[in-house]
Parts: sequence; structure tokens; C-alpha cells
Amino acid sequence: MTIQMSKTFAATIEAPSPGANMGQAVPRYDAREKVTGQAKYASDYAVQRPAYAYLLTSAISLGSIVSFDLEKARAIPGVLAILTYHDMKDTVADSKFFASGGYLGSTIRPMQSAEISHDGQIIAIVLAETYETAREASYLIDVVFDVKPPSASFDTLGAKVRSAKLASLLTHDDPAVGDIEKGFASADVVIEAGYSTPIQHHNPMELFTTTCSWDGDKLTIYEPSQSVYGLKNGVAEQLGVDAGNVHVVNPYVGGAFGSKGMVTHRTALIAVAAKKIKRPVKLVATRDQGFTIATYRAETRHKIRIGATRDGKLSALSHEGWEVTSRPDSYAVSGTEATSRIYACPNVSTKVNIVYADRNTPGFMRSPPEVPYMFALESAMDELAEKLGMDPVELRRVNDTMREPIKGLPYTSRSLMACFDQASSAFGWSKRNLRPGSMRDGDWLIGWGCATATYPTQMAAAAARVRWSSNGNVEVETAAHDVGTGAYTVIAQTAADKLGVSIVKVTVRLGDTSFPPSPVAGGSITTASTCSAVAHTCDLLIARMAQRVGGAEDGQRAARVEGTQLVDSRGGKEEVAAAFERMGNTVLEQYGEWTPDGGGKGDIKSLYAGRSKITGGAKLKNSIQHAFGAEFVEVRVHARTKEVRVPRIVGAFAAGRILNPRTARSQLMGGMIWGISSALHEATEIDAQTARYINDNLADYLVPVNADVERVEVIFVPETDTQVNPIGVKGLGELGNVGTNAAVANAVYHATGQRVRDLPVRIDHLIV
Amino acid sequence: MRPFLIERASTEQQAVSIAARVAGSDLAADRPFQFLAGGTTLIDLMKLDVMRPATLIDVNGIRTPEVSSISLENGVLRLGSLVRMAHAADHNAIKSQFPVIAESLALAASAQLRNMASLGGNALQRTRCPYFRDFSYRRCNKRVPGSGCSAMDGVNRLHAVLGVSNDCIAAYPGDFSVALIALDATVEIAGPNGTSKRPFADLHRAPGATPQIETTLAPGDFITTFVIPATPYARRSRYVKVRDRQSYEFALASAAIVLDMDGGIVREARIALGGVATTPWRARDAEAALKGRRLDETTAQAAAEIAFNGASAREHNAFKIPLGKATVVRALLETAALGIAT
Amino acid sequence: MSASPSDQFNFLNRRSFMSTGAAGAVVPVVGGCFASGASAQPSPARDGRALFSTELKVNGQIHRLPLDIRTTLLDALREHVGLTGTKKGCDQGQCGACTVHVDGVRVLACLTLAATVGSREVTTIEGLMKADGTLHPMQQAFVDRDALQCGYCTPGQIMSAIGCVKEGHAGSDGDIREYMSGNLCRCAAYPNIVAAIKQAKPAMEA
Repeated sequence: MTIQMSKTFAATIEAPSPGANMGQAVPRYDAREKVTGQAKYASDYAVQRPAYAYLLTSAISLGSIVSFDLEKARAIPGVLAILTYHDMKDTVADSKFFASGGYLGSTIRPMQSAEISHDGQIIAIVLAETYETAREASYLIDVVFDVKPPSASFDTLGAKVRSAKLASLLTHDDPAVGDIEKGFASADVVIEAGYSTPIQHHNPMELFTTTCSWDGDKLTIYEPSQSVYGLKNGVAEQLGVDAGNVHVVNPYVGGAFGSKGMVTHRTALIAVAAKKIKRPVKLVATRDQGFTIATYRAETRHKIRIGATRDGKLSALSHEGWEVTSRPDSYAVSGTEATSRIYACPNVSTKVNIVYADRNTPGFMRSPPEVPYMFALESAMDELAEKLGMDPVELRRVNDTMREPIKGLPYTSRSLMACFDQASSAFGWSKRNLRPGSMRDGDWLIGWGCATATYPTQMAAAAARVRWSSNGNVEVETAAHDVGTGAYTVIAQTAADKLGVSIVKVTVRLGDTSFPPSPVAGGSITTASTCSAVAHTCDLLIARMAQRVGGAEDGQRAARVEGTQLVDSRGGKEEVAAAFERMGNTVLEQYGEWTPDGGGKGDIKSLYAGRSKITGGAKLKNSIQHAFGAEFVEVRVHARTKEVRVPRIVGAFAAGRILNPRTARSQLMGGMIWGISSALHEATEIDAQTARYINDNLADYLVPVNADVERVEVIFVPETDTQVNPIGVKGLGELGNVGTNAAVANAVYHATGQRVRDLPVRIDHLIV
Repeated sequence: MRPFLIERASTEQQAVSIAARVAGSDLAADRPFQFLAGGTTLIDLMKLDVMRPATLIDVNGIRTPEVSSISLENGVLRLGSLVRMAHAADHNAIKSQFPVIAESLALAASAQLRNMASLGGNALQRTRCPYFRDFSYRRCNKRVPGSGCSAMDGVNRLHAVLGVSNDCIAAYPGDFSVALIALDATVEIAGPNGTSKRPFADLHRAPGATPQIETTLAPGDFITTFVIPATPYARRSRYVKVRDRQSYEFALASAAIVLDMDGGIVREARIALGGVATTPWRARDAEAALKGRRLDETTAQAAAEIAFNGASAREHNAFKIPLGKATVVRALLETAALGIAT
Repeated sequence: MSASPSDQFNFLNRRSFMSTGAAGAVVPVVGGCFASGASAQPSPARDGRALFSTELKVNGQIHRLPLDIRTTLLDALREHVGLTGTKKGCDQGQCGACTVHVDGVRVLACLTLAATVGSREVTTIEGLMKADGTLHPMQQAFVDRDALQCGYCTPGQIMSAIGCVKEGHAGSDGDIREYMSGNLCRCAAYPNIVAAIKQAKPAMEA
């Protein structure tokens, strides 16, 4: 056979050696458990005599249930119960949308009434002795619906538009500065264009599963979650039980990308089902059900207008966005927060509009605002560069700024152009011929494109418990979540570094509400938040040990471990081993809480209640915190059949201190491939008439396969930022997939001369 | 998945007689049984409740050479229907003598699926039309005859533009069949009334007014062998598959090309298309247009135009017409350019 | 679907299932298994829902399990044998997370009926490590190359990677990428997976 790709590069295999302001590239803490199949994900937990649940979901998107016929299904031996809204109404209390201070990712309440508000809404739960029986019984349920014509998306009858500023509960404010019309009047060159991005679903490899088990009043939930305290408190509220009686167990998460951050309705329903039949209930929702029982990235549209003077300096930038949401929930990602601030521009005008349709409520998906909004801005910047006859890198350079233009706040650090320079040099950008369609290799047209990546540096309060034993063992417990990010590893490194022990002596336990809380694993905040809390807790521990070094009694005194010694702030020294001996060879246990600058007094209390008060980014009073990067992409487009492939991509990123270059590289690499996927592969298709998702499976919802990815190069640009947080970390779980889609589309333009403004870029656009 | 019983056959005759018995016992059932080989289509569609056999006749124990082996004698290639896709794809003689077959197999599905799936099952795989595969759509003429077609005005980007009818536009998704039809293969069948053979080109049926009937096989017919006639020039053959991602995806458009060349002149061309039609599709008029002509950009373009004469698109799949043409041109020129050692 | 404001229709009104199609006179041979008395059905041999006792040989150990005949190898391993290393990512043959070896060949457990495995040997991720805790070279290479992130696809990737090397499809980076494309990794650790396979290949072949 012939592999239809032109060049073979050696994979980039070496873990990067630590550079300036980086920790050690130690192997992933949880790798051994994951390669042996021992890592337990939620549905891997065995419970006593589980009843298997199978969901029946709605085949209509709007209307109501007239009747169920359950007779045939109930007649199947092994069916324990079939629950519908008749059984479930009033069992789950109304609860608030997360943006209104609640926990829910959607306020559409399945099985609480006959109403149907979106495709794939849960309408019945079959419980049976075996999975096979439950599934079969679900086929035999007849449902009579009263169908109303739904609004699927933009432009469909009945879809309502409101300004996000008026509608959004996310306290969205449209950033603006200066006089936009004056700005355009003073421009030498103006470009204006519309862009769009499609519906996307996270599709983590792990399905949406829930196992609920009651022991008297106590409920144990095994469920993949990015916020175990949120799940615990949210379900407790829905069920009207004391949160203290709800225990969530989920040490490993099989990918999440935002989809497991908010409480979905399935958990409470399964908990009620388990109570009703007095047995543990195990649900493993199917892949297609995952498209409608959780959230997704909604489709967006953008209108961008940019004015610039001949030298490339922006004089005016206007960005208006439209985003789809469900009928009841005013969810919007509002990416103008970022697009209004990353380039110097005296006159900026933005607006976000929310379009309400008959859909399940969208939610966070990896880089929620930046993926769609930066696609639009970074595509427009490329169009502007083209119109100015300027190198796209130089256009970014002349508009680089150390102050964001809306309020004039200084960036705590910003290494955007260093990223551009290092990535462009590694990529060989200087060899680029500016003219579109000028580069070719046989039947393949070659194009090069680039774009800016940026993501706000955010964090939230966190708590941790650390135990230090005289034998040198250290245990760290916090209900943080490792969704594949390397959280276990960097937490272990943080404790090991602080306490002067080898990482092999450190045990880290996460993802369990019996541990002190950490915030939601979202917004790239885990490392900054949880590691800060762990570092702080270790400091408290050291200070306790050091209390009696030199006879001082001040427990809060700064102290540290150097090598094998405790060193206090006045230079007093004692061997750690001696200190343990002095204290009776004990196990020292320390609980600690950490609240970031910009956080509030009540943040820890909120954290225990399952709410993460996220601060940072553009939310601070005196500064703005962002991580930056630059991505360069080569595409190959077949001259005849127009397939687009990405043989190589280079990204350079500056994100403050890098705790572990190995796991950080994997995160950024994965992000960049997500960006390629966003550009070329991913789109959930919706049937315009029925408002139903059509390609709700992994054969038709395309994500990249191994053969789609050739060479990915990640460059760390050293950066030190002492202001963002005590450990100087900016977070990079989402940075890597920002701007990539624009870089790919820009490269496609360079290869073909065809500007594709609607993602994903497909053969359909290019073959004419 | 509905309940079923499993029966096991160790010869093709046994498979056929079990089928006859099972079918005879319950005439009310439209499909009382299915043969189970790799299961990669069948088990999938049973889970989706699209296929509901009451009995699975497990044919994996059949070891007769007709069914389970590959032979190449006097240039005639015989492929047993239970040979796994991976086995045929990696077969050295197939790779050298009939590269279009090896490529069509290697570019299909994934390594694991190719290890499981049989050639016979692959040739008979069902469409990927999402409205067919999801029983919650009321309208699908293929699944529920007479119910209508949801794809016609639905999301139909992946649907067929050739061989469509007013009742069905579902694309045939396979690759291997496209190579077989290009090579004038014959299919050998064991059935209730003994063995028979027919041209592979007669195996699949265009949907017409009865899209639920996908093949000319009678109930209980069991494909034993695909026979590819001696075609020495098949060494100059190629399978070009175009898709949105690099691998593990069905074709948006594909072309199987076999060329007999005399210098730059076409003695005979075979052109078959995948991804764009309701059945494995042979473009005989396009072939005829090339015969005796020099193969170049112009003649290849002309042949491609002819291949898509009568193509008919819906809202989202119009791109498949220019794409299909481009695929034919590309595949023709790439095949012509192959360096074939003689 | 009709777009009239109120279109009432009976949905999912499918024919009820016809009990079985087996002829009464013949006792079906059921995948090498026999009918058990576990079900209260009058005629277990004719009831496709009856539990059947089946034997599965997994990682060298024989497990005797009462299974619904519809049970896939994947669900049999996870829910009945208790080996949860093999993962369910799609249950439709579209992701590769459930890849196991049957008689040394990589296949998808989600599309394999447990009842048809018979006496063939099943190897799962749990069967790779030596008793002394030494990892299989492929497992070690995945650790060394950070060829995983969330880890959910990892057992399937490793089983597939071993198959890829054994089949002789790991001769070049391009081949590895192509022949590993049946294993989706949503975290996109792909370049590291290729590196891991290149590291493990000589060790496996030694």
C-alpha cells in the first residue's frame, strides 16, 4: 500500500531537558498504573449486585410525551424497573445554573415532567439484572410524542437573539475603548469579514458513567468528574440530602476537556433510581447519548472589522460574535474578553449576542472562548497582513503591547514576540514565499501559516493535607483532578521539592471528596491553584517542625528544607531526621488552605460548597495575566482532490514556570493537535428540521487518528513571572489549542489562495 | 441487541442447511438468521437494534479451502469469503499481482477490524447512512420499507450521487468491493439449491424502489469464494481513497483503477468508484472513452466527466461530483505513472 | 418529520420480537457452551435470554461464567471476570479502547461475542506484566515516552502496539502511524505513542 503522505519525519521523542525556570522532567507519576490497567476509572469500581441502567432518550427536540407503553419492555425477564417522569417527578429538586451560583450545566430538567426541550433528553431509565437486558428493554418502550417544530440553530425559525450584556448571567460586559468610527476613519486599510465555527463535542475517550450506591443515608457516587466537590454538593442539593452524606470517588478521569466540569442531571436520576430499587445502579451511557446528556461547544459566528495604518498599526478593531445556547440557559463563552485585549489598538468595539434554540445547553470545552473567537481574530489578522503586504509575524510585532488596551492594565509578563521569533526560526518561516500557491511538492500544494495563542492565567482557592513521616514518606491529599494533565505528577514534585524528599517517597491522592477540596479542573487552573496550596501546606509543616530550631516559638516563621536540613529564617539549621527524632519519630500532618491574590475571604468556604471562585486573567484590578504562544503550521493540500493534511506544526509557548517539561510538553502537544482537529476535522452535524445531532459517534464525528499527526514540535520560551502566584505558574492545558485553527486556515490560504472562513476546512470548500 | 441463539457450522453446506432449517421454522420473521463471521458490521448493527436476527450461524469454524484460503493458480486469484481482510491485505502475491485489492483492504477500517472482518462480510457491509443506523428515525426506506427517507432533505454530505433513487441515497461504504468490480470478479455461492456463481457486478442491487434489498443473494445463500480472473496487467492497478482524515474512515470518494498500457496508449482501462454511489460502481462508459487513447490530463478529465454523467446531488453532497471526478483523474494518472517491472 | 405545530405520532412502534427461530427438533450447538438451569424459562435451549455457562481463558486463567449470550467479550471481561483494564470507549468498533488479543491477534472486544471465543486464549492489559512486576517492553516504553495522558485509551493502545510490532507493521514511522490509527487518543499523545513503539520494537524482537 501507499501511505498518502509525502514525507516521513522522525517523531520528536525526547523529553525536553529542563531550561530556565523549569522543574525536572520526571516520568508521569501515574504512568505505571495506567500502562498496567490498574488505574481505576469510575466505571471500573465493582459494587455489590449492581442493577444495570440503560437510558432511553428523546427522539424529538421539542414537544412533550403523551404516553409511554412499557408493557412489552417490562415483560422481559430480568427487567427490575422502568422509570419515567411519572416515577421521578418531584424526586429531584430544582437547582440553579452554575452561572447563577448553582452547580448545573443545564437547567433543563429531564424526567421531571412530560416536556421535551432538546434532542436526546433522558426520558426513561431501564434497570435490569444485566446490561444486555436493560438495553433490549429500552428498544421495546413505545413512546407517543406531541411534536413541535424545533429551532435547530442560527437562522431557523423561532431562534431568538439577545445581547449577552443584557442576557448573560455570566456578568458579561462588552469590552470597548475609544471611538471606533474615528478609528476606522483614520485607517489606511480596512478589512471586514465573517467567520464561523461549528458545534463540537468533547468526546473524551471515557464515556459518561455514573454508579450510585446507598448505604442507609449515605450515598457513594463513582463518576468521572472535573469537580468532585461540585458534584457532591450539587447532587446533595438536588436530592435534598446533607452534603456530608455524599461521597464522590473518582481518582482517574478518562479525559474531560470541560465535559465533566458541571453537574449533569443523570447523577441525581441514577441516585434516585438506586434508592428506589434498593440496589447500587451502574450507568454507562452510550457514546451517542453523551452528545446530548452533557455539554458541548456551541456553534459561533463572527463579524470582524479591522482598520490599520500603512505601518500595520491597528487603529480600530470591532468584533461581534453570535453563539447558540439552549432556551432557558444564557450560556456564552464571550471570547471578546481576549480578542479585545491582546493587540495594541486605541479604538475597540465588541459585542456578543446569544441565540436561543431548542438545544441542550452548551458548556465549557477546552479553551472555550478562545477557540472560536481567536479563530476569527487570527484569521482576520492574516487577511489584514495580506492586504498590507506585510509578513503576518511583523504585523503581530508592530501591535505587540505590554498593556492591554481596554483599561490600560499592564501584563504581569508577556513573551509573545519571543514565542513568535523562536517558533518561526525553528519552523524556517524566513523561507516562506508570501505569494499564495507558490509552494508545491509534486501534486501537493504547500502552505505555511501562523497565529497567536493566548490564554488567561487563572486560579482559585485550594486546600490540601500533607503527612510527613519520619521514614521520609510524604502523603498529599487533595480533591484535585488529573484529567490527563499531569496533576498527580506536579503535585508530587511540589511536595518533594518543598520537603527535600525523592519523588518516589511521595504518595498523592486525588479525586475523592474525603480529601480537602481543590477547585474545578477547568480554566487551566489546577497546577497554579493546587500546587500553590500544596506548597503552602508544606511550608506550614516545615514551619511547625522548625519552631524549635534555635529555640524560637514563632510557628509562622519562614523556614525551608535545604538538602537534608531544616533551615529557619535566621539561618538556624537542624537535620530533618534529628527534628523528627526530637519530635518523637512521629507522623506530622498538616492541613492548609491557599487563596490567590484577587480572591476573597469566602473563597475557601465556597470551595467546600463545591464552587470555585476563579480569578486572574483580565479580572484583576491592577494587572492582566495571560500566557502566550505562537504556532506555525505547514499544510499540504492535494492539488486535485484537496485533502488537507498537516505534516508539521511548531509551537513556542511562554507560560511562566514549567513544573515538569515532560508532562507540560504532552499537554501543549495534545492542545496543538486539538487545534488541528478544530481546523480540519471536528464538527457535529445537526439536522436542520429535527434539531438532532446526526454524527453522534466516533466514526462520523472525526477526531485525528495517529496517521493525521506527523511532526509536532513544542518549544518552551523561558519566562519568569513572580506576580501571578507564589509558584510562578501560568497554566497551559488550554493554551496549545488556541489560534491553531486560524494558523491552519491561514496556511490553507497560503497553499491555495482560497480563504476558508467557516470551520472545519474541508474538501467541500476547496473543490470547486 | 435482541435475544438470539448461536449455531455453529463447520462446512459451508452445513451453514446453508442450518439456515434453511432456521428460516423454515419461522416464516413470519423477515430475517430469522444471519451468518456470523467477523461480526464487525453485524454485532454493531444488532447493538443499534437495526439488525435483529433470531439465530446467528457462526461460520468461523469452516475450514474448507474454498471458504478459508487464498490461492493463486495460473493467474486466477481465489479469495475465500472467510479470509480476514488483514490476511489478504498482507498477502505478497496479492500485493504484487493485484495491488488494487491489497490497497483497498489496507486502506479500509483499522488494523483490529481488518484482523476480524471477513472478505465476505466486508463485501456485504451495510451503509453508514446515519438515518439507517439510528432506529429512532421513523423514516428510512431501507430499514422500514415505505417509511420514507430522512436523508433526502437531512444531513446528506456523505451520501451517494450515483445510482440513487427517489427512495434512497445511502452510499455503499466499502473499498474491497470497488476493487473486485474493477477486476471483473466472480462470486461463488453455496445456497439451498446447490452452488452457483455470478459476476460480482451482479451481486449488489441499486436501491430503486426497494432499497431494503441490497443484494441479489437469496435467503440462505452463502458466499464461498471471490474469483478474480487472470489479469496480468492488474499489476498496474491502484486504489485511491479520499477522506477527511488520513485513516480509519470511509471514503468520501475512491477509485480503483486497472490499466493495460501500450506505451502511453490505453489498451484497456478499468475504472470503479467508491464512496459516491449506492453500490460498488463500474464506470464502463468512461473506460470505453479511454480505450486506444493516450492517457493524459485531457483524456483523463474527459473520462472522469463521463463517469459522473447522470450524477445527482442533494443539499450537502454536491461536492462529491467534482471530488469524484478529481479522484478519477488523480487515480488514472497515478496508475499510469506507476513504475511496473516487466 | 412533519413540521406542523402539533404532530402527534406513535414513535418506536416496532413489531414485538419473535421469540426464536430455532427448530424444535434440533438442539442448537451454542458456541461450545451449554444451556444452564440458571433461567426460569421453560426451555432454556430455545430462549435467547437464558444465561449460558461459558468458559473464557483470560491471561492463562480459566473463568467459568454464567453469561447472557448477548454479552460481548468486553463486557464479559469488565463486568463478569473483573478485569477492568480493557476499556469501553464507544462499544461500536470506532475507537480501539477495548483492543485485546485473541490467540495473539489484536481484535476489538466490543464487537466480539464472549460466546464465540470458545477455547481461544484472551490476553488483556493485565496479562502483560511479569509476576516479578517487570513491565512488558511496550508498557515500559509508554512510561518512558510519556505516551499517555488521561490513560483511558492506553490499555488498548498498548495491546494494539504489541500487535502492530508482531504483525510486522512497525517498520517505519509512517507504517506505525497508519497501523495504529485504529486507536483513538483524544488527549492526542500520538507522537509519543509512535516513539514508544519504536523504543519497544527492538526489545520485543530481542
